[in-house]
Amino acid sequence: MNEFLPHISQLIQSTLKGFSFLLQELVLVLTFILVILADLISHAKRSAWAYRICIAGIFLSTGVGFIQNSDIARVTLFDNSLILDSTSIAFKYIFSAVTILFAIFIRFHKPLQNHRKGVGDLYMLLPAVLIGLNLMSMASSLLMIYLSVEMVSIASYLMVGYASADKRQTEAAMKYALFGSICSAVMLYGMSLLYGFTGTLNIIDPVFLNRLDLISDPAVALAIVLVLVGIGFKLSFVPLHFWSPDVYEGAPTPVTAFLSTAPKIAGFAILIRFLEPFLLPAQSYKLPDLFDFRAVLSVVAIVTMILGNFSAIWQNNVKRMLAYSSIGHTGFALMALIAFEGSGFSSLIIYFIIYAIMNMAAFMLVDKVADHTGSTDIRTYKGLGKVLKVEFVCFVIVLVALTGLPPTAGFIAKLFVFSSAFEYYAASDSIWALGLLITGAVATVISLFYYLKIPLYAYLKNSEAAVAVHVKRDFLTVVIVFLTFLLILYGLFPGLLS
Amino acid sequence: MSLLSLLIFLPLAAGLLILVLPYAWQQRYKYVALAAVGIQVIMSAFIYLNFDGNAFSGIDAKSKYQLVEQVSWINLQLGRLGSLQIDYFLGIDGLSMPFLVLSSVVMFIAVLSSWEIKTNLKGYFALLMLLNTAIMGVFCALDFFLFYIFYELMLLPLYFLIGMWGGARREYAAIKFFLYTLFGSVFMLLVIIGLYFSVQDPITGNHTFNMLHMMNPDNYIPGSIFSALAEQQIFGIPARLLGFIVLFIAFAIKVPIVPLHTWLPDAHVEAPTPVSIILAGILLKIGGYGILRICMSIFPDAAIDSAWWLGLIGVVSIIYGALNALAQNDLKRMIAYSSVSHMGFVLLGIASITAEGISGAMLQMISHGFLSTMLFFLVGVIYNRVHSRYIHDFRGLALIMPKYTTFIMIAFFASLGLPGFSAFIAEAFSLIGAFTSESVNGLLPRWMAICGSIGILLSAAYLLWTLQRMFFGKTRLMGGEDWKSKLTDVNGREIFVLTSLTVFALLLGILPSLAFDKMNASVLELIRLVNLK
Repeated sequence: MNEFLPHISQLIQSTLKGFSFLLQELVLVLTFILVILADLISHAKRSAWAYRICIAGIFLSTGVGFIQNSDIARVTLFDNSLILDSTSIAFKYIFSAVTILFAIFIRFHKPLQNHRKGVGDLYMLLPAVLIGLNLMSMASSLLMIYLSVEMVSIASYLMVGYASADKRQTEAAMKYALFGSICSAVMLYGMSLLYGFTGTLNIIDPVFLNRLDLISDPAVALAIVLVLVGIGFKLSFVPLHFWSPDVYEGAPTPVTAFLSTAPKIAGFAILIRFLEPFLLPAQSYKLPDLFDFRAVLSVVAIVTMILGNFSAIWQNNVKRMLAYSSIGHTGFALMALIAFEGSGFSSLIIYFIIYAIMNMAAFMLVDKVADHTGSTDIRTYKGLGKVLKVEFVCFVIVLVALTGLPPTAGFIAKLFVFSSAFEYYAASDSIWALGLLITGAVATVISLFYYLKIPLYAYLKNSEAAVAVHVKRDFLTVVIVFLTFLLILYGLFPGLLS
Repeated sequence: MSLLSLLIFLPLAAGLLILVLPYAWQQRYKYVALAAVGIQVIMSAFIYLNFDGNAFSGIDAKSKYQLVEQVSWINLQLGRLGSLQIDYFLGIDGLSMPFLVLSSVVMFIAVLSSWEIKTNLKGYFALLMLLNTAIMGVFCALDFFLFYIFYELMLLPLYFLIGMWGGARREYAAIKFFLYTLFGSVFMLLVIIGLYFSVQDPITGNHTFNMLHMMNPDNYIPGSIFSALAEQQIFGIPARLLGFIVLFIAFAIKVPIVPLHTWLPDAHVEAPTPVSIILAGILLKIGGYGILRICMSIFPDAAIDSAWWLGLIGVVSIIYGALNALAQNDLKRMIAYSSVSHMGFVLLGIASITAEGISGAMLQMISHGFLSTMLFFLVGVIYNRVHSRYIHDFRGLALIMPKYTTFIMIAFFASLGLPGFSAFIAEAFSLIGAFTSESVNGLLPRWMAICGSIGILLSAAYLLWTLQRMFFGKTRLMGGEDWKSKLTDVNGREIFVLTSLTVFALLLGILPSLAFDKMNASVLELIRLVNLK
C-alpha cells in the first residue's frame, strides 16, 4: 500500500484537472438530476417541465462543449482513459443533436404521451444516455469502453421495454436485453483476455501493443474477435444483427429512430477508438498474420450490405424495412472505416452527420403517417401522397437521400465513402477494397428498389376508396421539413458541413 | 448569371412558381410552363445564331468553348483525401450546342402536347420543369461532378412522370427504367471517383472533376489507376479499358443498345405522350452525347481498341430493332423499336471515328430527335381520341383523317430515310463513315456498313406496311361509329406542332450545312484528340 502513497497526490491532481474538460458531461449530470426532480415535483400535463429542462440541459451542455472544445487539438484525461480530440468532439455534437431530435420526437408521439406511465421517466433517460454516448466517443481504455457501452445499453433496454404493451413488444424488449447482455459478457471476456495478455487496460499505451506482440497470434485474434462481438452488437452488423428488425419493429417509433442512429454511430466511434492503435501506420506493431482486420471487416461489411439490402426488399412493414436498410448502411459505413488510415475521419463523420439526419427524418415521417392512418404497413400508404402532400414530398426526398442520389446530401455521403474506399484501393491494391466498392454500388441499386416502394404505394398506385384522413400538422412537421431542407442544402453545398 | 445558367434554371424557377400558385389556377399552369419553355426556345435560337462553329471547336480546350462560366462551387477539406474542389463549370461547343436547340424545341412540343394531361397538374408541370432543368444542365456541364448531378436528377422526375401519369403497366415500366439507368450510373460514379483521383489540376495541383483536364494525358498522376502510362489492371483487364466499358454501358443503356434496350419499349409505351416525346426526343441523345463527350474524349485509346465492338453493337441494334418493329401490333411499341434501330446508326457512326461518321451520328441524333417527337405526337393524337394504339384496330384512316394522314406520311417517309429529309443525310453520312473507315483508319470492316443499310430497307418495310394497314383501304374501325365520330382530324394546336417539326426535318434535309457548319470544327477536333491518344 505504501508504495502508492507518493502517487496519490499526483493522481488526484490529474483527476481534478480532467474534470475541467468534462464540463459538457457535468452539465448533463446536473440535467439528469433536475429532470428527475422536475418530474417528481411538477405534475404538469405530459411532463412538460421534464421536457423543457431536458432540452435546455442538452442545449446548454452542447453550448458549454462548444466553448470548452474550441481550441482543443487532443488531450488525454484521467490517466489516459479518455481522449478528447476533434473526432470525439464531432461525434459529441452529432449525439447531442440526435438526442434533442429524439426529445422533440417523444414530445409529439401520441402513443407514448398517452401511455399510463407518462413520459417523464423517458426524458430522464435522455441526459443519462447522452453521457454514455459521449463517453463512448472518448473512451480509450478497455474499462471505459465497457462502462460506456453498458451505460448506453441499459438505457436502451429501458427505452425499448418502457412502453411495451402487447406480447410482441415485450418479446422484442426481452430479446434485446438478453442478446445485449450476452454480447457484453462476451466482450468483457475478450477484454479480460487482453488485460491478461498485456497487463494494461489502456489501449493507447504503447505497452499494450508491445506486449500483445509477444502473445501467439490465435490467442490475440480470439480476444479481439470477442471484443468485436460486443461492439458489433451495437452496430448490428451481420451476423450480430438478429435482434434489430424485431426490436426496431416492436419499440415505439421514436425509440427505434434513436436506437438506429445514436448508439449505432457511437458503436462506430468505439470501433474507431479500438482499432486506431492497430491500424495507425505510425505504430511499429505488426498485425498478427492470422488476423487481418481489414479482411475480416471487409467480409463483414460486404455480407452486411448484401444481407441488409436484400432482406429489406421483402419487408412490408416500414419500420422493419428501415431496420434492414440501417443494417445496410452499417455495412456502408464499415467500408469507410476500413479505408481509414490515420486521422482522416472526415468522410466517416460527414457520413454519420448525414445518416443521422436522414434516419431521424425517415422515422419521424413513418410516425407522422402512422399518426394519421394508424398503420406502419407500406400497403396502407395507397393514395396517401395526394392527402399528406408535404409529408410525402419530404418522404420522397429523404428516401432519395437514403438511396444516395444527387442532389441530396445522401449522395455526398456516398461519394465520400466511395472516395475513401477508392483511395484505399489505389494505395493498397487490395482485392477487398474493390469488392467493397462493387458491393456498395450494387447495394445502391438494390436499395432503390425497396425505398421506392413507399412512393410507389403513395403516388403510383391508386386507392380504390377515397382516402379519408384528417390532416393534422404540428411542430414535428416543421422539424421534418427542416431536416429535409438540410438534406438538400448539404447536398448542394456540402462545404457547409465542415 | 450567364445565358447558360439562365437557360438551365429558368424552368426550375417556373416549376417553383407553379408549386406556389393556388390550385384554383391549375388550368393556367401549362401557360406558365409554356412561357418558360418558349423563352428557352428563343434563348437557344439566339445561342445558335451567335455560335461561331469554327472558332469554338471546344472538346479539350476551355478557350474554345463559348459562353463559359466557371465558378468555384464546393471547396471542402477532407483530411487524407485532400481538398475537394468542384467547379460550377458550364460551356458549349459544336457537340453540345445543337442539343440545346433540340432540347428546347422538343420540350416546347412536349409542353404543347401536355394539354392531354388532366390530373394533378401541379405535380405534373413542376416535375416536367425539373426534368427540363436537368436536361439542359447535362448538355452544358463540363465538370464531371456537375454532369453527374444533372444526369441523376433526370431520373426521379421521369420515374414519377411515367409512374403517375402513365398507362396500365406504369409501375413496372417506371421502376424498370429507374433501375436500369441507376445500375449504369452507380458504376459510372465509381469510374468518376477513379478519374478524380487520377487527374490533377495542372495549376492548383488538386484532384479535379474537370472533364477537360481529364482529356489531357499530361494531367494524369503517374502511377494512378487511369494513367495511360501506368497500365494498371483490374481483374486482368486494363483499367482504362474497364473504365471506358463501364462509362459506355452507362450511356449505352440510355441510347439504348441491344441487349440493354428492354426498358425502352416498356417506358415508351406506358409513358404519357409528352413524356414519350421527351424520352425519345432528348433522353436517348444524352446517351450518344455522353459517349462522344465523355467516353471517347477521356478514354480515346480504349475507344479505338473497342471501335469494332461498338460498330458491331450498332449494327445489331439497327437490325434487331428493325426486325422487332416489324413484329409489333402496338403503334407506339413499333416506334419505340424503330428508335432502337435508328439509334444504332448513331453508334455505328461514332464507332467509325471518321469525320463523316461522327457528323452523321450527330445529325442522326438531332434528326431522330425531331422525327421521333413527331411520331410519338402523332400516336398521341389518335390515342387521345379513342384510347387505342393497336395497328389492327384501325383501317382506312386516310378517308376520315386526311390531314392527319398527310402528316403521318411525312413522318414515316422522313423516318425511313427519303432523300430531302434529315434522316437521309444523317443515315447516309453514318454509313459513309462506316464504309470508309476501313480505308481511313481500319477500324470497322465494310460489311458493317452493308448490314447497316439493310436496316434502312427494313425500316421502309415496317413503316410502309403500317401505313398500308392503318391508313389505306376501306375505313374499318374497332370501335365502329363511336370511334368514327371521335376520330376528328388534327386541330390547330396539333397542326402547328406537326408543321414546325416537318419544317425542321425538311430544313435539315435540304440544308444540312445548318447543322454541319456549327459542329464540323468540333467533330474534327474530337477526331484529332482520339487519334492523338
